[in-house]
Amino acid sequence: MKSATTSMNLRAPHLARKGDELSLGFYKFVFMTPTILVMMLVVAAPLLYSFYLSLHEYIVTYGQGPFIGLGNYVLLMGREFAGVSWVTMKLTVSVVVIEFLIAFSLALLLNQSWLRFREFYLVILMLPMLMTPVAVALMFRLMFNPNLGIINWLLSLVGIPAQGWFGDPNLALATVIFVDAWTETSLMLIMLYAGLRSLPQDPVEAARIDGANAWQILRHVTLPTLRPVILVTLLIRMITALKSYDLIYILTQGGPGKTTETISFYAYRLGFRFLDIGQAAAVSFILLIAVVALTLVLLRILRER
Amino acid sequence: MQPPLYVKILTHLVLGLASAVILLPLLWVLRTSFVDRVIAYKLPPELFFTPTLDNYRTILTEMEFGKFFLNSMVVASTSTLLAVIIGAMAAYAIDRYRAGGSAMPMIILATQMMPPIVLVIPFFLIFKNIGLTDSRLGLIFAYLAFNLPYVVWLLLSFMKRVPRELDEAALIDGCTPLTAFVRIVVPAMLPGIGAATILSFVLCWNEFLFALMLTGQQTKTLPVAVSSLVTQQGTAIGAVSAATILAMLPMALLYFAVRRFLVAGLNAGAVKG
Repeated sequence: MKSATTSMNLRAPHLARKGDELSLGFYKFVFMTPTILVMMLVVAAPLLYSFYLSLHEYIVTYGQGPFIGLGNYVLLMGREFAGVSWVTMKLTVSVVVIEFLIAFSLALLLNQSWLRFREFYLVILMLPMLMTPVAVALMFRLMFNPNLGIINWLLSLVGIPAQGWFGDPNLALATVIFVDAWTETSLMLIMLYAGLRSLPQDPVEAARIDGANAWQILRHVTLPTLRPVILVTLLIRMITALKSYDLIYILTQGGPGKTTETISFYAYRLGFRFLDIGQAAAVSFILLIAVVALTLVLLRILRER
Repeated sequence: MQPPLYVKILTHLVLGLASAVILLPLLWVLRTSFVDRVIAYKLPPELFFTPTLDNYRTILTEMEFGKFFLNSMVVASTSTLLAVIIGAMAAYAIDRYRAGGSAMPMIILATQMMPPIVLVIPFFLIFKNIGLTDSRLGLIFAYLAFNLPYVVWLLLSFMKRVPRELDEAALIDGCTPLTAFVRIVVPAMLPGIGAATILSFVLCWNEFLFALMLTGQQTKTLPVAVSSLVTQQGTAIGAVSAATILAMLPMALLYFAVRRFLVAGLNAGAVKG
């Protein structure tokens, strides 16, 4: 609210001097045009084209076929799409919940006022954030290699038999989740930690003076005030999890079978392995709708703040 | 207030364990990149060995990773530069003149949430038709799709911290909005521009799906080159490790240089709406 009034104040002297709305409009135009032009070319146009493609039969080798309305979407309503949606949901929910619990616990610990070596821990814990996901995935592929990897060897030291990891249908998804948690937790950690740091300390002090213990302070003071930050963090992570693609490509290519095939990877496989662009576009649009729905919720929360 | 000793020990134990989980895999790969083939496969691992640069020599000479490294550099820096220049102008217009109305910041944020697979399919076909596949120019252009909204969003939050009185005064003193922007606003938000530049560069450097679909043998970027080693990984652990380190190295160096920026940027961009 405050910024709205100051912006009015800014306009007034400037307009009074220039004397017309025209010059303001002109500068708005000059400053905004490049961005709007680029966004139309690289976001809006491809998006519309993709929607157009999803309404047509389009096999790369034959080129564009006839308009088939929602045919591509109807074709998807089979078991295969249900399967990849289920995998995507399992993966998304698992990584969001696991990574949130780890990130929030670590953020709480890092936020303790008496903590020493805080900078040291932060440097290390934030490290994965900048790592190329492809490189991280490759690193873990080497370490989880059933015969040559260090992890099976380490487990053998404590008497656990060698596991197939990415090759084992029962373990593949869990292993992917582990690698995802390794890479992505740090982003959540930093967001939650920044949120904790920006909380006013007075209510916490007041509660402490009133004799509340650490758990009560967390439950009744910290959690309620941090709620918006937590919601935003969860939503952003959910959206990025739905989009994620790199890890699956390197780690499993959706296998074994289809146990780790997500919607993003399914769209990629339809389009660039089976060369069925129409279907791939339809799948990607369904994913887009899911992301848009989540984003709308996110925007609502951001507006309320 | 000091907590009891066991709480302190437990806290450091948990944080130490988490740090170890992050550090140990990185150190292991770093080690593997410096050993020869025989030692790379040895389990239990040999603790003492003579380090060798052979793996790095292999990927840089035989596999031309130098070229891919250069491709990544060119694409990431050019795309970032473009995004920052036109993004800063847009952030200024949106914040100070409310260009695009109050919905504009939200539209920018929403664009950022778009799954890349939705865009890569049309991009692939369009680029194929106009002959932009297998070119660095095409990729630079395509990266603006997520780069530009990201930069605008980050810069918007930094713009809010530049006091309005600054450019207001400049306008009263006779500057046009354009000169006020160049002489007053840009210098005042230089730290923000720095943070946005770095974060956007990181985004481009790490990007995989666009690069995979839109580049070819001569123009592929480092992540794509690294990913093509997957098939050979059974035979060349050392080379794969060296390539992995090479892809991570610039980011790691950048990271230590700009960690403070990064916290500020993420804090401003992601958490404070």
